[in-house]
Amino acid sequence: MSEESDPTTQSDVTSAELLGAVKRFLMEDVLPAVSGRDQFNARIAANVLGIIEREQVLNPALQALDRKAAQKWLSDRESTEDIPQQLARALAAKSISADPNFIEYLKTRQLLVAAINNPRYASRAVAEARWG
Amino acid sequence: MTPETLSRHLNDNLTALRSGSLAGDEVSQLSRLSGGANNETWRLNWGDTPLVLRRRPFSADSIASLEGNILGLSLVDEAEVIRLAMATEVPVPAIHAVFDADHPIGEAFLMGFIPGESIPQRWLADDAFEAARASLAFQCGEALAGIHAIDCTQLPESIRPTTLDNRFAAAQKRLHAFGDISPVMQFGLNWLIDGAPDNAPCVLLHGDFRTGNLLINDKGLAGVLDWELAHQGPAEEDLGYLCANVWRFGHLDRPVGGFGHYDDLIAGYASIAGWTPELRSIRYWEIFAAFSWGLVCQTMGALWHSGNGDVERAAVSRRRSEAELDILLLIEEWDDE
Repeated sequence: MSEESDPTTQSDVTSAELLGAVKRFLMEDVLPAVSGRDQFNARIAANVLGIIEREQVLNPALQALDRKAAQKWLSDRESTEDIPQQLARALAAKSISADPNFIEYLKTRQLLVAAINNPRYASRAVAEARWG
Repeated sequence: MTPETLSRHLNDNLTALRSGSLAGDEVSQLSRLSGGANNETWRLNWGDTPLVLRRRPFSADSIASLEGNILGLSLVDEAEVIRLAMATEVPVPAIHAVFDADHPIGEAFLMGFIPGESIPQRWLADDAFEAARASLAFQCGEALAGIHAIDCTQLPESIRPTTLDNRFAAAQKRLHAFGDISPVMQFGLNWLIDGAPDNAPCVLLHGDFRTGNLLINDKGLAGVLDWELAHQGPAEEDLGYLCANVWRFGHLDRPVGGFGHYDDLIAGYASIAGWTPELRSIRYWEIFAAFSWGLVCQTMGALWHSGNGDVERAAVSRRRSEAELDILLLIEEWDDE
């Protein structure tokens, strides 16, 4: 019998699993043990971990989308940092116009951002049905 | 401030009120209510009288990059506006005492307790509030018309008449000061500027008249709270604000605050004001309200970075994405209508 067939137990814990463990701690141990403002904030803290969890999954797609947008609307820029900021400043300066293509990009981007920050927000279902 | 310290300061100061309208000799049952990202709200009893203390736990102009008070009125001015509203038919709590920022209690005011439900998730869905919800949109229209009729010459000096152009300039300044982080917020502001209505006469606006800031009982509207964002502007602004998606708490099919319909709100308003606001104009201010919510979220993030606030305030900064989503949705709908 080779060593490989012996049963093993996974010993690494991914960052997503760590987040899950902390979330369970907050919901199952902290929440019942505190009251008032602390209880309110413990619930918020668990929600915040959810944001981080989803951001880890969806951020690569968001960054890819922003890089494509930068190629289209920020052709002479030097840095790939802070693409949303550069786009916001270009809009403020009226050096790019919010044409249908640009608005399309904003909508696609916003579906991802909403899925990260507050997937249960009611308008998101409407937006998913229209633009998704 | 600990409840013990606050209780001691209140006992010291409320004794002076004993000879007035408030009988009592000791503060009891002091407890902080949850919710409220800017101000603390405390429940307490003074003798047998239930009271509510609204208190600002920090200096509100503590963001170096911005001039002035970014959280709206001082609590002293807010109390003054509530006193003016008290003289109308609008249901508001009586103001019993006002403390300025130099007072040991901190900037705060003490008001009467109005029985009623404020938590949206409770009264928006519960069958016990069905009759209340049915008449609420009309009542909100009446109340807003009442507020808008308040004589602006009586207002505290901090509530000055202003133009939309000035407000757009202030909003743009704030977007810059917060690092221009959102293309959607900038797109929204550009759109609002391009589609701005002609300057309408300024009236006193509540500024934050929405589900969550209203007290509801079985007959409907029992109290209008949270006057810190009172300012002057066009009447339709308050109506559109009440109808903003973010304040419908998931009930998107009921455009007035998640409980009612446009026709009833407009009819209630017209019954007191004597003129009929236009729906298209209300819809413009819904988009403005979405943008304003995004700015509030950014302000919360900036305040948190400047050392003021807990995990709730940090988390609220992410709710900017709700505002951004609504800006894009509502502008699309505006173009289709």
